[in-house]
Amino acid sequence: MIKITNLTKSYRDKKALDNLSLEIAEGSVFGLLGVNGAGKTTLLSILNGLITQDSGKVEVFGLDISKDAKKIKNFSSVIPQHLAFYEDLSVKENLDFFAKVQDAKQENYDKAVEINSLKSIFSQRASTLSGGQKRRLNIAIGLLNNPKVIYFDEPTVGIDPKSRNEILDSIKEYKNFGITVVYTSHYMNEIEKICDEVAIINHGKLVEQNSVENLITNRNSDNVSVEVVYSKNLKELEFDMSSETTIRTKESELFFTLELCKKHNIAIKQISYGSTNLEKYFLDITGVCDV
Amino acid sequence: MFKAMIKKEFLLVFRDKHALLALFVMPAIFILIMSVAMRDQFTNDSIEFTLYVSDADTSKMSKDFLQKIDSDKKFHLVHDRDAAEFIVTIPKDYEKQPNSKLSIDVRDSIKSDQIEAFKAILFEHVLNAKLDNMVRNVEEISPQISKILGELEISVDTMYEVSYNNSIHIPNSTQQSVPAWIVFGMFFIIIPMSTIYVNERKQNTLARLNSMNVSILAMSISKGIPYLVINQFQVLIMLGVGIYLVPLFDTPALVVNGSFFALGAISVALSIAAIGISSLIAVSAKSSEQATTIGGILNILLGAIGGVMVPKFIMPPAMQKLTEVSPMSWGIDAFLDVFLKSANFSMVLNNVLMLITFGVISLMLSMLILQISIKKGF
Repeated sequence: MIKITNLTKSYRDKKALDNLSLEIAEGSVFGLLGVNGAGKTTLLSILNGLITQDSGKVEVFGLDISKDAKKIKNFSSVIPQHLAFYEDLSVKENLDFFAKVQDAKQENYDKAVEINSLKSIFSQRASTLSGGQKRRLNIAIGLLNNPKVIYFDEPTVGIDPKSRNEILDSIKEYKNFGITVVYTSHYMNEIEKICDEVAIINHGKLVEQNSVENLITNRNSDNVSVEVVYSKNLKELEFDMSSETTIRTKESELFFTLELCKKHNIAIKQISYGSTNLEKYFLDITGVCDV
Repeated sequence: MFKAMIKKEFLLVFRDKHALLALFVMPAIFILIMSVAMRDQFTNDSIEFTLYVSDADTSKMSKDFLQKIDSDKKFHLVHDRDAAEFIVTIPKDYEKQPNSKLSIDVRDSIKSDQIEAFKAILFEHVLNAKLDNMVRNVEEISPQISKILGELEISVDTMYEVSYNNSIHIPNSTQQSVPAWIVFGMFFIIIPMSTIYVNERKQNTLARLNSMNVSILAMSISKGIPYLVINQFQVLIMLGVGIYLVPLFDTPALVVNGSFFALGAISVALSIAAIGISSLIAVSAKSSEQATTIGGILNILLGAIGGVMVPKFIMPPAMQKLTEVSPMSWGIDAFLDVFLKSANFSMVLNNVLMLITFGVISLMLSMLILQISIKKGF
C-alpha cells in the first residue's frame, strides 16, 4: 500500500502540493487526475524518490521514502511522460543496457519484451520506431526490474488509437501480476477504462478520491445541467455556464433557475442530473476546461 | 553496471560520425598542415637570396670572395641587376685597402629581418675571403703562421654549439605541431561528451538512471572512462602521424627523445583535465547547440592562450606568462619536455599534477551541478 500524509512541496513561492493525503491500495490501478500544473508530476517525482518533499510523509509498502528511497527504487519503476531511452541505440541495446544497470533477471527481461511485443523490432534503431513502438519500449524498460509498483506519467501522449489500446490492455494485465499501478493521463476515457480508483488533484490539493464507478454514477453529487436554446439574456442573468448553452446548477436551486429561464423567455431543451461520465464530473468539480 | 554504462557510451560516441571526425581526423590534418607549413620557420635550409655582384676590384681576393658566394646554396648569383634582390658592389682596391667597405643595394620589397640574415651569411664569406688573403700575404713572411691561419675555418656551424632549452636537440616544426594539436584534439572531447550528456538530460535518461539507483558518481565515472580510452588512442594515432606520415611530405619526422612512461602520464593527466572541463560544460549547458558553441569557443580560446596556434616561444614575454593559465599549455610544455629535453617522469610531474588537480576539481563541480539539476527535476 502507498500512504501519503499531509504532503507539501513548494517551488519558490508556488505550492505544487498543499497538504495532500492519499491512500493507494496494493494491486490496484490508481488514476491521478488534474489539470496541467495541478501537482501530478511533482507527486510522481516524490513517490519515485527523484525529489524530496518539504513536509509530510510518504510510505510505500511500509517503507518511509525519506529514509528508504534506495530500497523503494529497487521495487518501483517510473514510466516517464517523455521517452527516456537512447534514440541512437537499437531496441535490444537499450533493453540490455537498462537491464544490466538494474541487474535484472532474464525472466523479467523476457516478460517485458513479450508484454510489449518488442521481439520483432529488436534490432531496429530506436530513432526509427513509430510513436507507438517507442512508447512500448519506454514501458518495457520500466518493467525490467519486476516492479511491485509502477508510476505511469501520461504514457499514451501522441500515439495512434490502436497503439493506445494495446498499451492500455497491457497495463490492465499488470493487475494479474499483482503490480500496483499509479496512472496519470489527460485522457479521461483511459482512466475510466483501466483504473479502479481515482484521485482528483487541483492546485496541489486533493479534491476527491473515489472509485471510478462512484464518480461516474455520481452518487454524491447534486449537480444538475440545464441545456437551453441560446439567448442573449443568458449573459445578463449571470448563470454558472459550463458551455454557451448549458447552465450548471444544484438540485436545491433548480426550481429558481427554471423560473428565471421562464421569466426571460429562455427555452429549456433538456435537464440532466449528475455527470454522465468522468470528464463531465471532473469539469463539474474543478470548474476548468483545460484538462 | 559499469561495464554496461561504458559500453553504452562507446556505442553512442562511435555512432556520432561528426565526433569521430573532430576527435581523430581534425587533429591529424592540423598536424600535417602545420608541420609542413611551418617547416621553413625552424631551418635555414630553404633560404635563398638572389644577388648581383659588381666587381670593380677584380683582384685575387674579390675573385675568391665571388667563388665562395657562388658555391653557397643560400645565394643565387644572377647576371641581370634588375633580377637581383641584393646588389653587392666590390669597390676598387678592395684587396689593397683593408678598411674599404662593400656596398649593398637592397630592393624595396626586402624586409629588414631578411637584410639582417643576408648580412650575417655574407659576413661569413667576407671574413673567409679576407682571412685567405691574409694567409697568402703572411706566407711570404712566415710559412708557419700562414699554416696555422690556413687551418682556421670560420662558419656559423664551427663557431657555435647551439642548445635549445638545455637540450642539444633544436625543435623542428613537427615537434612543435604534434604536441600542440594532440592537446587541442584531446580537449575536443568537449563536443561529443557534452552533446551526449545534454541529450541524456533532455531525453530524461539521466533522471531515469537516477530512479534506478544509479549514483551521480557512477554516472560521471562511467562517462569519463570511455573518453580516457579515446584520448589515449588519439595520442597514439597523432604520434603515428608525426613519426610516419609527416616525413612523406618532405618534413622532419617526430622524434621522441624522453621517457615513454612520462609520455603516458602526461596523456592520462591531460585526458582527466579534458574530461573534467567537458563534464562541466555538459552539465551547465541548456541545449546541445549551446554546449557545442560554448565548448568550441572555449577550446579555441584555451588553445590560442595555451600556445596551440602560435608556439609559446615566439610570443612576447607577457603573452608567455598568460599561457600559464591554460591547462593546454601545461600539457604542451610537458610534451615538449619529453620530445626535446629527453624528460623523465619526475621532470614532468609538476605539470601532470596540475592537470589532474584541474580535472578532478572540474569533475567534482560538474557532479555537484548535476546533483542539483536532478533534484530540481532538470
